[in-house]
Amino acid sequence: MSDTNTLTALSDGLAAAVETAGQSIVRVDARDRMPATGIVWSADGLIVTAHHVVQHDDAITVGLPDGSSVAANLVGRDPSTDIALLRTEAASLTPATWVEAADLKVGNLVLALGRPGRTVQATLGVVSALGDAWRTGAGGNVDRYLQTDVVMYAGFSGGPLVDVAGRVAGLNSSALARGVSVALPASTVRSVVETLLAHGRVRRGYLGVSTQRVRLPANLSEQLGQETGLLIGAVVPDSPAEQAGLFMGDTIVAVAGEPVRHHDDLLAKLSGDRVGQPVPLRIVRGGQVVDVPVTVGERE
Amino acid sequence: MNTTILQQIDDDLGAIVQNARRSLVEIRTGRRGQGAGTIWHADGLIITNAHVVHDKSPTVTLADGRQFPARLLAHEPALDVAALAIDAGDLPAIELGESTTLRAGQWVLALGHPWGVHGAVSGGVVIGVGAEWTDLPQPQRGRLVSYDTSTGMEWLVASLQLRPGHSGGPMVDTAGRLVGINTMMAGPGVGVAVPVHVIKRYLKEAWYRTTA
Repeated sequence: MSDTNTLTALSDGLAAAVETAGQSIVRVDARDRMPATGIVWSADGLIVTAHHVVQHDDAITVGLPDGSSVAANLVGRDPSTDIALLRTEAASLTPATWVEAADLKVGNLVLALGRPGRTVQATLGVVSALGDAWRTGAGGNVDRYLQTDVVMYAGFSGGPLVDVAGRVAGLNSSALARGVSVALPASTVRSVVETLLAHGRVRRGYLGVSTQRVRLPANLSEQLGQETGLLIGAVVPDSPAEQAGLFMGDTIVAVAGEPVRHHDDLLAKLSGDRVGQPVPLRIVRGGQVVDVPVTVGERE
Repeated sequence: MNTTILQQIDDDLGAIVQNARRSLVEIRTGRRGQGAGTIWHADGLIITNAHVVHDKSPTVTLADGRQFPARLLAHEPALDVAALAIDAGDLPAIELGESTTLRAGQWVLALGHPWGVHGAVSGGVVIGVGAEWTDLPQPQRGRLVSYDTSTGMEWLVASLQLRPGHSGGPMVDTAGRLVGINTMMAGPGVGVAVPVHVIKRYLKEAWYRTTA
């Protein structure tokens, strides 16, 4: 056996990528069970991690690559994309170098990194799927679908997906999808971080209805040009929906002139910039198509 | 061309497996199935897991098919390590590697007989090596002196599949050198080995105990 075979070169290359990226990977101690992982966003102490691993807003500790620990404050969190932003007093950290999802191809080798303890840990996989924008179960907008087959070891949530050059391609979270490893791409992390820095939260619109997708009667389906709508099963008291006079049994078919066929369509229309704005809602009530203006509220 | 590099890696993997398989043995004790073992020394020293050895007279089958009755030299359930001796010489002992300098991301291969499939291989990368595994078995205080109970038990954790029958078989690095003895799974796609430096330390100690 030789020490200089190609496999050894690959193996050492992967370990070097781990070491490079590892300088920007920290331990995040903000929950009762085992610690999780975070990524250094800026040299002056900003750390991005997963929302679901930050269970308490104070008494957060961040373990730095040099082995020291520093206290951290919560800047803000976005449950819809499972991102939290922390600020430490540490100076001259090494920020991660990010790579855009557009520069990845299906089949590329990628590593998931974690630092639940003192040292960096890694698992290896390939990029399994790259797709268009998608919406998380909690209603968060994600620019690109990025799925891998990396094993998410205990404490890896909030850590990076890294390419073979040690650049960070995404933020790993075990809470985004069940059974598959899905990462948030760099562009989504960037826009959420910028929003959290500016507002401390990511605003989402709110109506206060629970709905169920239903098939429309044939005549309405023809008239509206869509086969399905959202039947309102309940209206939350004092919600924007109640104030607008919506009732259980109304069926939402359009928001702001755009058809609503699925639950996803409705969530997409309720973006943060609509909060406080009047928006026309088209509904079917008693077999008649009616337009009702609603002032969109903000989801808590 | 990328295909050339991948072909080279394929060839390297094949060569490592072919070489390591020579040092992989099968261990049978009583009627309770089979495990794997690793030839540590050419004079007949075989290392395996303590949980593979259920009685004091196991049978060892070499890769070439020869069978030998084995004597149990040492058995330490706390480390999950056992040492057996067979009366044979010139055995293809595995080259010992370094587990203290292994880095996360480095490639390793595990050999064994999962579900009775002989000489099967699984591959992956090192997740980490050391004592920082709160979810893995920890030392029993006062049980042994071969590790420091204040730092926790040392394990080599890799992202590869281990199955019943892998236990006691070798985990090797990209130069084909032994870095650990396959021991258990810790969740899907996570294999755990006793690092080779822990075994070296234990063998030294067991040797002093038997000769003192």
